[in-house]
Amino acid sequence: MNGIVVIAELFLNDIQPVTYELIEAALRIKKIKNRGQIKIIVPSENPLPLAEKLSEKCNAADIAALKINNLKCYDSEMYKPYLAEFIRSINPTHILVAHTSQGRDFAPGLALRLNASSIAGVNGIRADDKGFLYSKPVRGNTKNMIVRAAADLPAFLTVMPGVFTPENCNRPGRGEVTIHETVFHNTHHRKNRIQSDKIIKKNHEHKSIKEAKIIISAGKGVGNREKLDSVFKFASCFSSSFVGASRPLVDMGWIGHEHQIGITGTTVLPELYIACGISGSSQHLAGMKDSKFVISINSNPDAHIFNHSDICIVEDADQFITAFLKKVGHNNNLKGKL
Amino acid sequence: MSAKKRTIVRFFVDTQVNHWHAAGMKILVCIKQISSRDIGICDAHALEEAVRLKEKFTDLTNDPAEVDVITTAPPESAEIFKRAFGVGADRGYHIVTGDERYASPFKTASILAAAAEKNAYNLILTGIMSQDFMSGQTGPMLAELLDFPCITGVVKTRLSNRHHSMEVEQEMENGFCNYLKINLPAVLTVQAGINTPRYPTLSNMLAAEKKEIITIKEANLFAQKNEVPEAREIFVSMEEPEKTRTGRKLEGSLNNKVNLLLTVLQEKGMI
Repeated sequence: MNGIVVIAELFLNDIQPVTYELIEAALRIKKIKNRGQIKIIVPSENPLPLAEKLSEKCNAADIAALKINNLKCYDSEMYKPYLAEFIRSINPTHILVAHTSQGRDFAPGLALRLNASSIAGVNGIRADDKGFLYSKPVRGNTKNMIVRAAADLPAFLTVMPGVFTPENCNRPGRGEVTIHETVFHNTHHRKNRIQSDKIIKKNHEHKSIKEAKIIISAGKGVGNREKLDSVFKFASCFSSSFVGASRPLVDMGWIGHEHQIGITGTTVLPELYIACGISGSSQHLAGMKDSKFVISINSNPDAHIFNHSDICIVEDADQFITAFLKKVGHNNNLKGKL
Repeated sequence: MSAKKRTIVRFFVDTQVNHWHAAGMKILVCIKQISSRDIGICDAHALEEAVRLKEKFTDLTNDPAEVDVITTAPPESAEIFKRAFGVGADRGYHIVTGDERYASPFKTASILAAAAEKNAYNLILTGIMSQDFMSGQTGPMLAELLDFPCITGVVKTRLSNRHHSMEVEQEMENGFCNYLKINLPAVLTVQAGINTPRYPTLSNMLAAEKKEIITIKEANLFAQKNEVPEAREIFVSMEEPEKTRTGRKLEGSLNNKVNLLLTVLQEKGMI
């Protein structure tokens, strides 16, 4: 086994930025133990333009433009057999895929075809004297579990987005870019048991969510639907504020999807983010981690959100907000007066 | 690696069996116990979706539909079947495993596949991920082992084409949604938000006493000892997650904390 394989994430016929994070993770692995080149696979019916685009932005790896007939967009039924065949010919030590809706869909099946050790949601890579160690979040992100691949198996990692910030993948003079074109002539692989009818943007973000300088977000910890009102009152204490929400609130129908912050909702970059009763799932954190200043209110002192907050308030969110509103003498005309 | 490869080949044999039942629909739900009584959140949504599909199928066709639930767990874990029966499941399979600290998704999926292939299921549902290890791999690996197509992160299902196929919506990032059609038999992993799980009903709870729990020892699913799958990841340790920010903790009484927060906000000119 040698070399590291990165499978580029493609969506709507474009390279997704998470691909560069995968390359960064691959560079981390290579730095720990250099066992061959990094190869980025671009699987598509027409991969050359995408591979070329990738090569302009990244010169730390080989790029394999994998031409697969009829592969117009992501299709797990085609990804798994063709990628398995191609990756077997490389026989790498590591295979890296993004831990996204797409990656999570095909990675476990592909890992199985490759007889690999499969580790999902990797948020850390290091090594000890026995070899590589991988970290992944468990138990609602309250802990990280450290695992290693069983002896002699390649490690198939789905890498958590937002962890490996691309820093080193485009340095002049590093590595060479070569574009391989591999054409599969046989179509016997294709089983065609899944057909995508359409991909559409079903949920649109609220117009003001991206502009808001201050976002006050509510999670399940606020208690119940009625108590959401006080979060809105809390938000009205600030000018240019917007009420956000974590996924469970949207799932339960307490608030519309246009308020959802996170990977499946909206990614935000406010000056101030106040998380009220939010535990801090990785999908939520990925949507707000770049906020300038984060304040969290949660009754659970071990809530994961506190690991990513500038100010931590261990209190019941609703009780705290009620006390806050009382203190500032909240009334409906308060906005802008403080 | 070559020895391990041999075990896998057995799974990939394409039998081309017609899994379709002339009359009726058989659904399997893979569930995982989280606390002494509860099943994982996403698994609870999967179970609810299975029971709804069973009801819809019977309404549409007048043919019977069945929901089996299966779990791999240590011996004392049979309690969760009561809950599953309470919301409408018909039969339980308890595959008895050791009480391991870490369950390799490959191993769990292999055990589930060995148990599931004995019954011709039309549809297998499970949660998008377990609450404890959060890997989301068991469902798609089970599909691979059974050679079923698989869609993960499903937020809507619809029976169609006299139930040889289904229409589903798959949730993607940034509000996007993939509208897909999948041939049955298939595996779907279910995202929270697909439905609101019902509470167990009294009549179901009473009927639960009569429902069957089939207990099978893990090793008995495999004819040869060397077929019993081995974990592919080795558990090393648990760690506290890294902090990305300094995290100043506000101390004192509730009112004290309110005052401290106001000071912080005023200093920053945010209020």
